[in-house]
Amino acid sequence: MTTFDADGVTLEQIREYVWEVKPEGEMRTPARVLASEALLEEISQDKTLEQLQNATHLPGMTDYAICMPDGHQGYGFPVGGVGALDAEDGCISPGAVGYDINCGVRMMRTNLTYEEVKGREEELVDSLFANVPSGLGGGGIVESGIDDVEEILARGVDWALENGHAVEEDLLHCEDEGMREGADPSKVSQKAKDRGKNQIGSLGSGNHFLEVQRVTDVFDDKVGEAFGLSEDQIVVLIHCGSRGLGHQTCNDYLRKIEQQHQGMLEQLPDKELAAAPAGSQLAEDYYGAMNAAINFAWVNRQLIMHRTRKVFERVFERSWEEMEMDLLYDVAHNIAKKETHTVGSAGDGSDVREERELYVHRKGATRAFPKGHPEVPAAYRDVGQPVIIPGSMGAGSYVLRGGEASMDLTFGSTAHGAGRLMSRTQAKNDYWGGDVQQELEDQEQIYVKAQSGATIAEEAPGVYKDVDEVVKVSDELGIGDKVARTFPVCNIKG
Amino acid sequence: MGFELREHTADIAVGATGDSLESVFGAVADGLAAASTEDIPQTGGDRFSLTVSAENLEALLFDYIDELIYLRDVRLELPVDNRVEKLEIAELGESRTKDDSADETAYSIEATARGVPLSEITAREIKAVTYSEMRLEETDDGWEAYVVFDV
Repeated sequence: MTTFDADGVTLEQIREYVWEVKPEGEMRTPARVLASEALLEEISQDKTLEQLQNATHLPGMTDYAICMPDGHQGYGFPVGGVGALDAEDGCISPGAVGYDINCGVRMMRTNLTYEEVKGREEELVDSLFANVPSGLGGGGIVESGIDDVEEILARGVDWALENGHAVEEDLLHCEDEGMREGADPSKVSQKAKDRGKNQIGSLGSGNHFLEVQRVTDVFDDKVGEAFGLSEDQIVVLIHCGSRGLGHQTCNDYLRKIEQQHQGMLEQLPDKELAAAPAGSQLAEDYYGAMNAAINFAWVNRQLIMHRTRKVFERVFERSWEEMEMDLLYDVAHNIAKKETHTVGSAGDGSDVREERELYVHRKGATRAFPKGHPEVPAAYRDVGQPVIIPGSMGAGSYVLRGGEASMDLTFGSTAHGAGRLMSRTQAKNDYWGGDVQQELEDQEQIYVKAQSGATIAEEAPGVYKDVDEVVKVSDELGIGDKVARTFPVCNIKG
Repeated sequence: MGFELREHTADIAVGATGDSLESVFGAVADGLAAASTEDIPQTGGDRFSLTVSAENLEALLFDYIDELIYLRDVRLELPVDNRVEKLEIAELGESRTKDDSADETAYSIEATARGVPLSEITAREIKAVTYSEMRLEETDDGWEAYVVFDV
């Protein structure tokens, strides 16, 4: 048996790319890491494994807690973590969803080729930067009152459709058609709504960005065609979440859990794992509030996408319809969803498998349902759900499709990005924003514009894991199959 | 006495010290400002005040930073030069032992900050304060705190 020793934690190799920490102490289930040895080496450098082991203490953890190949240390639950918690006798954990509820990525196609954009990158990046709010205090695309916030929370992208920020087709290419059932705006605090009000249609800062990209490779012609992707095509990737509204919602519920479910909290090794017992009023309230915040994030990305269409219209002097700027798909990578999965019965070692309703927590992980799954939108049901994996500014991104093995191995999930390798402080010591920007432009013809040079340094390509290696693991395990690769053309960030 | 920003893979942590609870709380809040921008203007912006109460000391620190982030987003100002004017522990008087249980709202602070308009600075967004690895401990010299912010 091959083992990997990571500073006192022993991982046994179950099969290629699957490593397992056996339950010890208060762990309710094993903890699994899906990684190559090179990625495991990186994952074992910080507190990722400790946080993953801690996550298995959550009541109702089913089969195992999983760390994706791009996993890294977060707070409480690791980033790149998947945990399926029983929806009947388990719990739901705001900390295992993360602060940025429905942080996610969407990709919009165009029928432009790289040749048509070449030479106009600076004009394009300047216009995008001027028209898409980013950074701290940059406002939002729409000026709205609290009534609009309520509507957005309840109805999601349907609100955008009614108000001229979307077309019908956009809804059909978004998970849940852009409207989460069970959203309850009354469970979102006034404070959260006040924060969200100024930020509807804004990127924020940190690792969030908007990037114009060109498709460099299509690995699977049939699926590529179904996704409408071909080589040299220009696409737009948008990465952001639910802004202050989501962050506040997470903290509001962490504090409520601390006050109302102290008993459960005391059993957990990290306060940030705070969870509400399934069936409790607070679990219901959080689920309603989180679903509302999910809608808010979808509207946020929708407004940015629709604004991007207008920018392209001005720069290329054609209508967006003529440029066929259509939404390919929108994926969430910080979310918990009630889903039914076939699982092993809780921890008794028997082989009995049964269907259970679970709160599947994906924190820095993406749903990756295979073809035929009823929850994959009709447009893609014959090939599998599109999965968008953003890479760093210099490395490009991937489009995958949900793989056949995902339901058995990962509760229908795969990775969400390259995953950080280097701390922000170290990044700022090692890189200078201006240099990174200039190098990307000179050597890679990538045009970057950001509110702050520090953000560019902190997000420099060298601070991320190798996205190729992450995607290789996903592809070879069959949880998310490679469809296409893209490379940045221009990028704006906060 | 003061704060320093510490290494963290994805986020930013602040380590702070103070000779009193008031000063260590203020130092963590100044850490939030420093994590948001490298160039805090020496002048400009008006001071505003806030009050926060919670059921224990750690929760009070959490809620204080959470409130500053909330106020940042709704006032569109970055709170800098933070001062905790008064920290009150209603039930426990002077003993200030955080492990003792106390009723809700037993712990409260009155604080002020100078709100620098976000339009005048280039700042990045700290999403939230977290409980992850949070420490607030009494030492021979006063108090020490460690707080991770989500970026």
